[in-house]
Amino acid sequence: MNISNNSNYVVNLESVTFSYRDKAPIINNITLKIPRKKVIAIMGGSGSGKTTLLKLISGQIKPLSGSIKVFDEDIVNQSNKGLLELRKKLGLLFQFGALFTDMNVYDNVAFNLRENTNLPESIIRKVVAMKLNAVGLFGTQNLMPNDLSGGMARRVALARATVLDPELMLYDEPFTGLDPISLNVIARLIKELNEFLNQTSILVTHDINSSFKIADYIYFLGNGKIVAEGSPQEIKNSENEFVKKFILGGIDDSYKYEYQSISEYHSYLSRTK
Amino acid sequence: MNKVYTFISAIGKPFANFIIHLGAIINVFISILYSFVYVFKNPYLVIKEIYYCGVKSLIIISCSGFFVGMVLALQGYNTLSKFGSVSMVGSLVAISLLRELGPVLTAILFAARAGSGITAEIGLMKATEQLEAMNVMAVSPIKRVLAPKFLGGVISTPLLCGTFNVSGIYGGYVVAVIILKLDEGSFWSQMISNIDFHYDVLNGIIKSIVFAIVINLISVYQGYISKPTPEGVSNATTQTVVNSAIIIFALDYILTALMFK
Repeated sequence: MNISNNSNYVVNLESVTFSYRDKAPIINNITLKIPRKKVIAIMGGSGSGKTTLLKLISGQIKPLSGSIKVFDEDIVNQSNKGLLELRKKLGLLFQFGALFTDMNVYDNVAFNLRENTNLPESIIRKVVAMKLNAVGLFGTQNLMPNDLSGGMARRVALARATVLDPELMLYDEPFTGLDPISLNVIARLIKELNEFLNQTSILVTHDINSSFKIADYIYFLGNGKIVAEGSPQEIKNSENEFVKKFILGGIDDSYKYEYQSISEYHSYLSRTK
Repeated sequence: MNKVYTFISAIGKPFANFIIHLGAIINVFISILYSFVYVFKNPYLVIKEIYYCGVKSLIIISCSGFFVGMVLALQGYNTLSKFGSVSMVGSLVAISLLRELGPVLTAILFAARAGSGITAEIGLMKATEQLEAMNVMAVSPIKRVLAPKFLGGVISTPLLCGTFNVSGIYGGYVVAVIILKLDEGSFWSQMISNIDFHYDVLNGIIKSIVFAIVINLISVYQGYISKPTPEGVSNATTQTVVNSAIIIFALDYILTALMFK
């Protein structure tokens, strides 16, 4: 797949830079495009800026510089009202589900329907049942989030995130902390939902096997920059040292697996001399 | 020169922080007021909050009121007996409760019992990304979470204040009439003749409503701005109780000066 030839993009990032307060940039001049109806994986080590990138795309945080367009709309300069309207077209699966702990499974999944549509309760009941059935959790309607295992909670969160059939789905580390069976179930669900609902999916993960299985295209982040990109096969054959080490799980002495030295640290050292 | 800079920044920083927080809290308050249309369309959200912060506070409020009334009656009886005016105990208890102790103590107890709970709940929702999840689903957390909690608290507090006053007067009655054998008729008749509805009761209710708005605004605001960490939530909860207590006492003086000239 040649991604640069595809003009039909859902997300378009141009020279985006972001840092938390006055720290070193966690996203450093990144340009990337997400084509429609594909599963795109954003991979990289811990602290490489994957989740930050997802937050930038969903408009939860604003970049220091650069432009971000989602559905051809500039979300950086979007008003709060405009942002809320735009968010009706996207779903986000949080790393730990972020289920509402004061509501049962049914109310969690029905939440978006009740808040953003005028559907009668009888229809909502059917849609919720259908969504829970799709994630293999029909019959859990009356359970509270505390009663669910990690994998079940993630699937309920998936049902909640997809209840309005969003055009763009964002997955934040959907495989973290899951056993191999649950992990494969979630991976299969993501692929199936993407196909059946004609969605575009952006998957932030560091799980190599699952993303190679379900992603159409992979971006590899390292130190706030895209260090490699391509189809899963291209990534597997990548000559990039960091990518090779990441895939093989080896230890590379040349790769600094530590927080980049910052000015406060130097001033601390000079003070303590 | 460095000392001058340090001194100016030591004064300036807290002052700047105060102004920033004041601006932010007013902003949140205005957003809550805008959300009332949504809240009125979904009254079950407010009813749920009235149950959690109002109904569940009934026991602590009525018990505290009862004992405060007992103490007032006992102290009043001991003091007034020196002047041969023990029949005024009923009036003393009622006026003290209606004008001052009822609104103030109810507000303090509410801040400690329900306000801290509201802050902790919102803070934990923030820490577990539940507020962010709402935002991403195009639902404003201020509209869906903060506004119902605020309104539920504002409705509950004056009602709890009424409960506190009634329990307090009954506590005073138990001590003065049942234990100290004061004449029941003079206890009630002195109370009735010395209490003015507008001057005592209505002013007490107004005080209670003002306190309710302040405490509940502080509670939801502190939860909303809390750091999403255990320490952050704990700190926000403490701030709710401390800030509420100080502001209630300061406001009580101002309101008393304006109302009871």
